[in-house]
This record gives sequence, structure tokens and C-alpha cells, in this order.
Amino acid sequence: MVSRVLSLTSGRVAAAVLALIALLALLGPWLAPHDPLAQSTATLAGPSGSHWLGTDHLGRDVLSRLLAGSRVSVLGSLEVALVALAVGVIPGILSVHLGRVFEWLTLRIADTLVALPFLLFAVAVIALLGNGITQAMLVTGALISPLFYRVARAATLTVARSPYVEAAIVSGASVGWIVRRHVWAKVLPPIAVALAQTIGVGFVIVSSLTFLGIGVQPPAPTWGGLLASDLGYLTYQPWAPLAPALLIMATVWAANLLADAIRDVTGEAGRALIDDRKARAAGTGPAATATAGGA
Amino acid sequence: MYGHLTPRRSRADAPTNRRAGRLRTAALTAALATVLVPALSACGGESSAASGSATLKWASSYFPTHWDPVVGGSGAQFRELSLVYASLTRTDESGKAVPDLAKSWDYNAKGDEITFHLRPNLKFSDGTPVDASAVKAAIERAKKQKNSALFGDLTSIKSVDAKGLDAVVHLTQVDYQIPQLLGERVLQIASPKAAKSPDKLDQSPVGAGPFIVTQLIPGTKAVLKKNPDYWDAKNIHIDNVELTSAPDASTVVSGLQTGVYNFADIQPSQAAAAKKAGLDVFVQPGFNAENISLNVNKAPFDNDKVVDAVRYAVNRQEFVDKLTFGYGSVTNQPFPKGYVAYDPQSADDYPYDPAKAKKLLAQAGYQAGDIKLNLVIPAEDPQAEIVQSQLGKVGIKVTIKIDKNWATPFFAKDLTFSLYGTTGRDSAVQTLTAHFGPNGPLNLSSPYEPSGFEAAVAKVRQTPLDSPDYTKVLQAATRAGLKSKALVFTYSAPNLIAKSKSISDLPKNPAHIDWTGVTISGS
Repeated sequence: MVSRVLSLTSGRVAAAVLALIALLALLGPWLAPHDPLAQSTATLAGPSGSHWLGTDHLGRDVLSRLLAGSRVSVLGSLEVALVALAVGVIPGILSVHLGRVFEWLTLRIADTLVALPFLLFAVAVIALLGNGITQAMLVTGALISPLFYRVARAATLTVARSPYVEAAIVSGASVGWIVRRHVWAKVLPPIAVALAQTIGVGFVIVSSLTFLGIGVQPPAPTWGGLLASDLGYLTYQPWAPLAPALLIMATVWAANLLADAIRDVTGEAGRALIDDRKARAAGTGPAATATAGGA
Repeated sequence: MYGHLTPRRSRADAPTNRRAGRLRTAALTAALATVLVPALSACGGESSAASGSATLKWASSYFPTHWDPVVGGSGAQFRELSLVYASLTRTDESGKAVPDLAKSWDYNAKGDEITFHLRPNLKFSDGTPVDASAVKAAIERAKKQKNSALFGDLTSIKSVDAKGLDAVVHLTQVDYQIPQLLGERVLQIASPKAAKSPDKLDQSPVGAGPFIVTQLIPGTKAVLKKNPDYWDAKNIHIDNVELTSAPDASTVVSGLQTGVYNFADIQPSQAAAAKKAGLDVFVQPGFNAENISLNVNKAPFDNDKVVDAVRYAVNRQEFVDKLTFGYGSVTNQPFPKGYVAYDPQSADDYPYDPAKAKKLLAQAGYQAGDIKLNLVIPAEDPQAEIVQSQLGKVGIKVTIKIDKNWATPFFAKDLTFSLYGTTGRDSAVQTLTAHFGPNGPLNLSSPYEPSGFEAAVAKVRQTPLDSPDYTKVLQAATRAGLKSKALVFTYSAPNLIAKSKSISDLPKNPAHIDWTGVTISGS
């Protein structure tokens, strides 16, 4: 799937942007030209040779804070996506195979989680468990998990009634074997799309929570936190929110682009599309097997 | 929108159909007027009544969480509550108590009894008469109500006798501060009839102040109209007030610019934008003072050298420069410079000297990094980051902890290290005892009290405010209080306000917002 995604321009661009963001998260603290927490008397200074993005209201280097803050945003969004994946996918697949009671129960739980306003719920849980990004993201991941539950369930339903699955059941195959052998391959592509989308959503959530001062303790820098503090000094630095806002936008856009690319290359239609492109590139005309359907 | 009601006609057919068209238009207008006018009038309610009248649209950062003044306490929200409630006294531009509901007062010869003489023929907005029994009920409620935030302020009051329009207040000690104390901060008087249900009063305030609440959306908005029965109603020129909880600080100026509000308290960082927008920006005088609160009952502040190290590590000017944009001032006392209680003799105590702070820590047996403290605060505050940075420079590692339930451990004196800011009190003694007294709510180290403070405060209480010795005695009490190891004062934040030019200047009553005589033009 990776090579097919990278065969698309959109896939390559998305991967490049996300790789850059991941690199920032990994090396950001070392790349920072100044201590992101060091205050100086040069407050709200404009861009200069020593401070490329200027300084904030406490005289701290904005570029260093952006670089240092990238790790929290990346790890937070990954945490949201992975928690949602872990909590949502397995029950989603098993809800088709483990009988009506399990199905009814998981569906009701998913409906309940969907009904909860995630931001409000995250704030409430943080008030109970303490202000930390891990708790905030765990809660948010759990609240987003119905997305994965439904995607996994829908994909599983499409194969559950297929003749080869019925044959496997008749042959006495276990649920685990059927899922591993037949279901997983069908479920994986839509889940990969949902995962990429959720990473983007996760960035927005981390940024929103840190914008509200939730999830991190000051003076730890975050992109959302930088954006929030910049808004108070627009008279002095009207351009200041641009850098964190653009970083957030670029990351979310790249995650969505990646989701689109995965969707485009998976399933029958996706494979046909790639084959068609290869054929065109080879000068042999459109592939004859293109179909309108797809997973 | 009107163009869409009927299809547009061509010029050619206009003359022939003009008469019929006029008739149809007249009929339609009459029908619409019949239906819409009463409906719109009903929907508009107070708002439509307000149109064309002088309306104050106030965006406040201190929108009251409680409208029962006994529960609200004597903090910054008293300014908003004083729209509804009047008091026995108020303060003038020099900060001195002047008549409000009480037209005069007099002490007995000993100074342990004061009689307030109320104005005649006044009533609360529910029709209950304003008399001495209402004053008695208000004081007793403030002293006894379970959720009262005021009982600690009224320790000098033993009992009250109600004699018609004379409220005789018996004191536990000689105390000439009482007229200063029983003003808008501490004794806003509610209707005793309404106060029989404190919970209801908390959301439906009934007072005898300049305005009456007509609509209240808790935590969000209050709509008020002028109280024609207020004793000084002739000097209130505002007909309606829309009090709104201020949104994010960065959007208040836009709200003022677009006319959503015409009056708001603003952050110093917004002052330049407000000026640029053509608004009136001014600093209302006040008694604000920010402090770092230490608990000397807990390590490491049980060591005097550590406390002194913190005092020398604090660079007050940095707070002023970074947080007040030049509108504030440094102070090492619970008042700003220039206030009568400010002690000039203590002005240079504990100057910024990080080298000395490091030396003191070493003498106390601490190397750099040995002391690790949690600075617990209720919300994100750049002040905390400055404290963290300054103490970090002398080797004290500070971690900022935001605790939304901060008030509970702070007032229970469970915290070791925190921040607090006072807006001051009209009685300087009240400010001093709140900070340095053994049970002072702002003394994180209760029951600790600096030696000599109690005697110094008693002397102030015994000194009439017009005595030539008053200033000297008061400043001596401040000096005694500043021996406290529990508080490090840093700076005085400004009461910065932006208003539309249509609102006339406010009286400069320190720490108050007084609407007497204020006009709103162009209404």
C-alpha cells in the first residue's frame, strides 16, 4: 500500500509534509536556536537575525518555542489516533461475529460516546484526573473511537456474508482465524484512511485543548498555546499567529491528503486506477479491467 | 428584502397599474403593521424599551458569580453588585467614607459604638422600607449566614440595635474604621424580605441601589434599568445597563469599536489597540497589589533564610514592564505607592539582589536545584512564569501547577506556594488584617502573625480618621505587617478601562466605579 500511495503526487506531498513534521517533533528541541523557556527583556520583538520569528510577551524566542512545541502536538495527535484505533477496531470487527448481545452492547456504547461533546468531556476528565496531555488524549481517543468501530464494523459486514467466510464457518474455523485470514485484509484499507484522518483531527484537538490551556502546564510550549498567547498581542505583532496557525493547517491538510491518497489506491477501483496510470505511462492504453465498484 | 415582495414591473405598464399598486402596498403595509408591531414589541421587551435611552453596555471581566453580596464577598465583583445594592456609606474621590443610605453617623465618646442615621422614606426595589432593621438584618446575615464570605470582616461588630431610622452598632473594641468598612465593599444591603431566601436572592437581587435587575442570565448577562426610588436618582443619568461577562481579552476592543459594548475593563496589552480605535482609555485609581504567597508553616519556607532569598530574588520592575505595559507600578506593600497606608520607610526593603538570594540559600544549606517547589495557581498566568524564571535564576526550581479548584486549598491554607492579587479595601485596616492577621483570608501562613502587628492595628482602630496622627499610626501598622514572612508583594496592576467617547468621565473614586453624574450622549 505504501508504494501505491507514494505513486500518487498527493501521497508523496502528504508524506513529505508529515515526515518534515515528524522530524521537527524528533529533533525540534535540538534544532531550537535558543532555550524555549529563557525569558529576556526584549519582549514582543520583531523578526531579527537572532530571533527569526521574533520574541513573545515574556521575551522568549518564538521559533524555539514552535520547534519545542512540535513534539507535544505530534505525540498528542498520534496518541488520540492510536487510542481511537485500539478502542474502536477490535469491538467493531467482533460485533459482527460474537453474537447479538455483544453487538447490541457495543453499538449502544458507541452511540453514547458519539453523543458526548469531546471537548467538554475532556475538560471534565482533566478536572478529575489532573491537567495532563496524556489524560486529555486518552479521553479524546476514546470519544473518537466510534469512528473506527463503525468503519471496522461496516467493512466486516461486507465480507461476513461472503461464500468463502460461510465456507470457513461451516468448516469449523474459529472467529480468530476467520478475522485473521479473511476479514483483516478487507478492513485494513478503510481503517488506514480513518487513521490518517484521525491524525489530522488529533492535531486540531491537541491544538484546541492547548489553546484553552488544557493538557499542558505552562510554560511548556505548544502550537495551540502559542496561538492563544499571540492573540493577546495582535496590536504589537499582528503577524505572530501566522506561524503556529500555518503549521497546524499544513499538518492537518497533509494528514487529510494522505487519507485521500490511501482511499484512492485501496480497493478494486484504486487498484484499477493505478493499473490504468501504469498502462498509460507504458503507452499501452487504458486497462481493460477497470470497474466501478470497490471496497 | 423589500424588492422581493412583489415582482418588479416594467416602466411601460407602471402608469396604468400605479393606483392599484398603491392600494395593494397600503393594504400590505397595514396588514404587516397589524401583525408585526405588537409581535415585535412583545419580543423586544426591555430591549426595545431601552432604544433611544441612555444605555450603558458594560463588558466586565468580573461578572458576578453570586448576586447575594454576603456570598459574593468584598472582592472585585462589588463594583458590579453596587449597581443594584446601596450601602450605609460610599467613598469620595479621596477614598474617604461619605454618606450613602446613611445621611450621617456619630460615634459615642469611647469610640465603641456608632450610630448610623438613615435617610427617610427610602425603599428597596421590592417595596420593603430601608430602615435600621434592614441594616441589622444585613449585618447579622453577613455574620451568621453559612456561606457568608464577609463574617471575617465584621469581627469588630458585636451587635446592632434597630431604632427606626437609627442603626446603633455596638463594637467589640474601639474602632474608628467602621464607616470605611461598612461601604460598598463589605455591606451592600439587600432587602430583608428577599434575603429570607438567600438562594433566590443570589439569582434575583433586590437592593436599594441605582439600578434594578430586570433580567439575569447567570454568568453571562444582566439587564438593569434605572431605579427611580434610589436616594440619588436625580444624579443617575443612565436609563439602562447591559452588563455582560467579557469575552476573550483580545476581542473586547473589537466589541467596543463596533458598539457591542461602550464600556469595558481591558488588559494592558489591549490599551494600544483601544487608543488606536479612538476609544477613551484611562486608569481608574485603585489599591491593587499582587503578591507571592508563602506558607511559613511548611518547608522550605519554615526557614527564614529561604524566605529572604525569595524576597531578594524578585525583580519587581520586570513584572511592571512585561505585564502592565507601563501602566502599573512596583510595590513591596499591599498597596500602591501614594496610598495613605503605604509606608515610605519600608519602600526600599528587600531590593532585587539575586547574588544575595543565592548566598542566603547557601547559608540555609541549599545548593542550586535542591529546592523544588510547586507554584499552584487557578489559571494560566504569565506572572507565574516570571516568578518561575526569577527563582530559577537563584537556583529554586519552580513547577507551575494549574488547579481549577485552587480556592479550596488556598483559603484552607493547605498550599505552600501560590500567587494572589488584591483589589484592596476601603478600610486600610481591613487590607492589613486580611493579609497579615492570624486569620486573614490572604495570609497563607495562618495562624502566623508578625510580632507587634496586632498592637499596631489596634492603635489604628483607636485613632479617628481625622486625627493628625492617623497617617503616622497607619503607616506604622503597615511597617509591622511587612515583617510578615508570608508575603512578597510585587507590583500594582492598573484598573485599565476603555470606553466610548459618548460616556462622560467617571468620578475618580479609588477602586470604585461610580456612575453618579455620568452621562451617555447620542442616545
